[in-house]
Amino acid sequence: MTLFLVKRLIMLAATLLVAAIVVFSVLEILPGDPALVMLGVSAQPDTLAALRAEMGLDQPAWTRFFQWIGGLMTGELGRSYTYDVPVSELIGERVVVSLPLAVMALTLSTVIAIPLGVIAASRHNKTLDIALTGAAQFGIAIPNFWFAILLILLFSVTLQWVPAGGFAGWDAGFWPATQSLLLPAFALALPQAAILTRVTRSSVLEVLQEDFVRTARAKGLSRNAALWRHAVRNALIPVITILGLQFSFLLAGTIIIENVFYLPGLGRLLFQAIAQRDLIVVKDLVVLLAGSVVLVNFIVDLGYAVLDPRLRSGGGHV
Amino acid sequence: MTLLSIENLCVELEGPNGVCRLLDQVNLSLSKGQCLGLVGESGCGKSMTAMAIIGLLPQGMRAHGKILLNGEDLLKADEERLCQLRGRKVAMVFQEPMTALNPVVPIGRQVAEGLRLHLGLTRHEAETRASQTLARVGLPVERFALSLFPHQLSGGQRQRVVIAMALACGPEILVADEPTTALDVTVQAQILDLLADIIDEFGMGLVLITHDLGVVAETTDTMAVMYAGRLVEDGPTVEVFERMAHPYTRGLFAAMPSHSSEGSTTRSPLTTIPGRVPDALSRPAGCPFVTRCGFATDLCSRELPLMKTLGHRHNAACFNIAHVEEGS
Ligand SMILES: Nc1ncnc2c1ncn2[C@@H]1O[C@H](COP(=O)(O)OP(=O)(O)OP(=O)(O)O)[C@@H](O)[C@H]1O
Ligand SMILES: [Mg+2]
Repeated sequence: MTLFLVKRLIMLAATLLVAAIVVFSVLEILPGDPALVMLGVSAQPDTLAALRAEMGLDQPAWTRFFQWIGGLMTGELGRSYTYDVPVSELIGERVVVSLPLAVMALTLSTVIAIPLGVIAASRHNKTLDIALTGAAQFGIAIPNFWFAILLILLFSVTLQWVPAGGFAGWDAGFWPATQSLLLPAFALALPQAAILTRVTRSSVLEVLQEDFVRTARAKGLSRNAALWRHAVRNALIPVITILGLQFSFLLAGTIIIENVFYLPGLGRLLFQAIAQRDLIVVKDLVVLLAGSVVLVNFIVDLGYAVLDPRLRSGGGHV
Repeated sequence: MTLLSIENLCVELEGPNGVCRLLDQVNLSLSKGQCLGLVGESGCGKSMTAMAIIGLLPQGMRAHGKILLNGEDLLKADEERLCQLRGRKVAMVFQEPMTALNPVVPIGRQVAEGLRLHLGLTRHEAETRASQTLARVGLPVERFALSLFPHQLSGGQRQRVVIAMALACGPEILVADEPTTALDVTVQAQILDLLADIIDEFGMGLVLITHDLGVVAETTDTMAVMYAGRLVEDGPTVEVFERMAHPYTRGLFAAMPSHSSEGSTTRSPLTTIPGRVPDALSRPAGCPFVTRCGFATDLCSRELPLMKTLGHRHNAACFNIAHVEEGS
């Protein structure tokens, strides 16, 4: 198990490094002078020179790369040109919106999808299964921003249960802050839950054909007991793979959803930074988002080991 | 004392091309402490018979007739009652030890599960019993901890776990569906010895499904030969081997590798039964074996031979028994 962990951690660090190199190189090979891109063609020569010096553009690329990596590791992320505050401060303010949003969305989609998928499988080809599969198909077809608008219309405009947008801030207390994340989290979660329901259903159906389910039945377990005690855990192994893959789509979704709901999160920050050509912020944010995807995949790998004992040891007989 | 008695068991599968009869008029009986061997080539319905006994036929299959366990008809029992009986009174050992165990659950829990379910034992009591049962099948807890996972065991060891699972609640009948087919020869012998010891010790009845006549000769008290979903010969093992009244039984016997080389220094080539089993959907009107039988007459292709009693509890379904026995 420790060996497994160490191997995965090395993989994690290596992936992050590669991500950083890719991001840096892409911005490096962009044609033109980054400082000029950021300031626009009408920039004053002295402002331009000041920005070039601040970005270290007078130094060779590899020096800048190592300075940047060193900065990432120590938390010295540089200064945003458009906001004129340290990038770390900017990210810090936004993370407290985006992270709870992502966690809520992932939790919601898992909590909705896995039981529904299992129930659909256990009622294979019966009415409930057909209804759930149909609903999932519908959910997959709906884009999340459109779904967000429907949610706003129903819960904010008509029922007036939750605010239509904006973030109350954690200072306003736990509940008001959570409330303002509720609709965006659902808007993000439901299309994902639809996919996850289908994956769970087909995975459970496959596992139900396995010999060990029949063995469990032969021991006297009822259909449901065999399903929940023996089939589900085996069926979850492919499900968490999809869950890990979905996380990157979730991040992409937050860029849109945070804009729809006026949430001051990382997605919106990225959107604004790109629009305002604040390349320093863009660079750091992209690495941060890539890092979170890699981290989630690391957690998924740990999940495999928890679910499947065959991955924990190197195998081998007694 | 008759433990299990199967009367006119038919299993039908409703398909797009009409009803297809997978088992037809199967009659079997098994007494306490006895071993019944069920033989026949692949696809003849041996596993179907086993699944019917334990009430786990695949979806879409219907069984009729009677399966009497201590006089109680299992085909009339509801699902709840069947759940009580499975594992408690009737237990099953499967062919594939590699896939019959849940890969993500420790072996101790898998053996203890039935004990907790049927006998209402606490977790601790069930684990104690589980380790006793595992020790009985040759997996002492000192070397094979309850916390081991199936992938940490060899095929033979896994089959022992499967047997321990089946034995755990002290069932009255053990149905073993080709318990050794997936194992190598030495392990096969060990597992069969273990099964034989266990039925002696626990006094349960064993239904042993196999296509190895050697195993049948060594292990069983009575035997039944199946062909295309029907019984063609059954009776006390010794008598069936002595007379082999049905041409199919002879064919099976001749196709046995170990027998044909017995008593001779040179190995004679393997005999095979020509042709193949007719599909359940397109069975001929007469005897299902007619196209492959060396003794077939006009009558055989017109009429279905029924079971005829030949001696004490020995029956065969053939019109030409006299000819067959002469020809030997
Ligand atoms: N799930 C199923 N659906 C439809 N037909 C089936 C199913 N399982 C088995 N059959 C059919 O039932 C017949 C009997 O199969 P069964 O598995 O009992 O054979 P068997 O004697 O156990 O063979 P083997 O020695 O290969 O295990 C076969 O002709 C097979 O085609
Ligand atoms: Mg079989």
